[in-house]
Amino acid sequence: MTDLARFEARQRVRGAAVAAAALGGFALVYVFVYPTFADSLGADIDRLMEAYPEALSKAFGVESLASMEGFLASELYTFAWMLLVGLYFGYAGGSLVAADVEHGRIDMLLSLPISRARIVVEKFAALLVPLTALSVVVPAVVWAGTAAVGHPVDAADLLALHLLSIPYLLICGAVGLVASVVFDRASHAERASLGALAGLFFAESLLTGTDYAAAGAVAPSRYLDPNAVLLDGEYAVGDAALLLAAAGILLALAVGLFRRKDIE
Amino acid sequence: MPAIEVDGLTKDYGSVRANDGVSFTVERGEVFGYLGPNGAGKTTTIRTLMGFQSPTHGSARLLGHDVTDEAELLAAKRRVGYLPARPAFDETVTGREALDLHAAIKGDERREELLDRFTPPLDREIRAYSTGNVQKLGLVQAFMHDPDLVILDEPTSGLDPLLQRSFNDFVDAERERGLSVLLSSHVLSEVRRICDRVGILREGRLVTTERVAELLGRTGKLVRATVADDVDTGAFDLDGVHDCACHTTAGSDNRSEGEADDAPNDGAGRTDADGEAGARARTGPVTECQFTYTGDVNALVDRLDEHRLLDLDVEEAPLDEVFLRFYGSEGADDSD
Repeated sequence: MTDLARFEARQRVRGAAVAAAALGGFALVYVFVYPTFADSLGADIDRLMEAYPEALSKAFGVESLASMEGFLASELYTFAWMLLVGLYFGYAGGSLVAADVEHGRIDMLLSLPISRARIVVEKFAALLVPLTALSVVVPAVVWAGTAAVGHPVDAADLLALHLLSIPYLLICGAVGLVASVVFDRASHAERASLGALAGLFFAESLLTGTDYAAAGAVAPSRYLDPNAVLLDGEYAVGDAALLLAAAGILLALAVGLFRRKDIE
Repeated sequence: MPAIEVDGLTKDYGSVRANDGVSFTVERGEVFGYLGPNGAGKTTTIRTLMGFQSPTHGSARLLGHDVTDEAELLAAKRRVGYLPARPAFDETVTGREALDLHAAIKGDERREELLDRFTPPLDREIRAYSTGNVQKLGLVQAFMHDPDLVILDEPTSGLDPLLQRSFNDFVDAERERGLSVLLSSHVLSEVRRICDRVGILREGRLVTTERVAELLGRTGKLVRATVADDVDTGAFDLDGVHDCACHTTAGSDNRSEGEADDAPNDGAGRTDADGEAGARARTGPVTECQFTYTGDVNALVDRLDEHRLLDLDVEEAPLDEVFLRFYGSEGADDSD
């Protein structure tokens, strides 16, 4: 039933391991840098934040650097996780179908007694491999690391943040998937997906607090706030549900487009 | 219920009408050759049959199932094998892993037997495969689930002659077991041995479907005769001779027929250097005539017998010339 998904998932194991190791290492660096950073600046730490250009601090969600939680929420989670990992999923999604079309592999797949909808859904499902790897390794590293340096982060908050970010990363992958069934070249789909996701991310952060803030409502990053989770313990479950529903709609859109597509 | 029914199939790409009202039927147990020059629209028909693209007009059925209805198409695909013109697999997996995926989805009752015949290196990553090995892997996956119908797009491209013969023997044996086959090619000689019937496509239109035996009778032979004499095209003025061209050589200098009289010294100038070959050329003029022959072979042999032949070459006419002669816009008038 899920033979294609399992086949595709096996192809992703190595990449997922590399991504998890890289991001885990990245997270460790942040965690170990923080005590030195906090000690050297002491009570003046939030003055540094005020010196950040406003647009920049908004873009990277800098609210407070006076605690490990605030530091990680902005530096690790807003920048590395939401932006970089988000783009990684957008990129991976972009190649899901388009790469097979570009290299003619799709013919072999379509000749199998498997529906086009299944091909799209099972390929997308294979993204669960890197998603799971990252969502297990990174919080584990952060939890253990912050405890080791004496600034432990609340495990429940950390777990909640990672659970809430799953719909966010799924929607990034789904944006890539839609591009992947629209374009016949992987590079075009990847670029379209990266452009859309990066554009939405920065547009949302820049529009917040302006008269055009409502326009940022289409950006996925509007619906995930690491600061609220780690600093205030606020879990926006409704926002995550909204993201999940939107990811489902994008997946359905990709299926619909691919079912009508002429593979030439 | 025929294996394949194509009715008025038209595929319009906007700038090109790749298929224009194509209709044909492939019966159960029949091996049907779908022939035409490159760019004629063979692959377009095949891709439509496989449901990769939808027809602009017309309909197609595989084993009785309408290919434009996905549920019906899936039912058909369980019993259909397919080999694309340029088979491509995931390059990062081994041949075995690629076959395992196909097996999991469509079955592999005949995998081992096929691997004995076509022998791709199963444990090597496909990225390291040669074109021939990819083609072998493609053939294995096309037949491994013991399909009732196999659609092969240019199956013999990329196969060495030995393997091509093995493929031909295999298809012959499968036909005996009742397999239906549609295979495309732009080279008639490669597929005539295994096809019962062929359809010929030209610029998107099916110009004819006929039995191979009849087609071969009509396509004629390409005849190349080297005569030890100075003759002109009139020497082969027979019924069934087309496009006769003669070229006379006197001495060791290459001259065309019209120039043959006005340079008598050329041969003498090279006598010593040319040795035996030159000596033979100087014994008299030699004429090489080439033409396509569609008439009675006895009449041709009688006519050839009137000349002293230095060389004679008779081969099957290339398909492209056949197209031009019988189905081309100019050729249509003089094909009587």
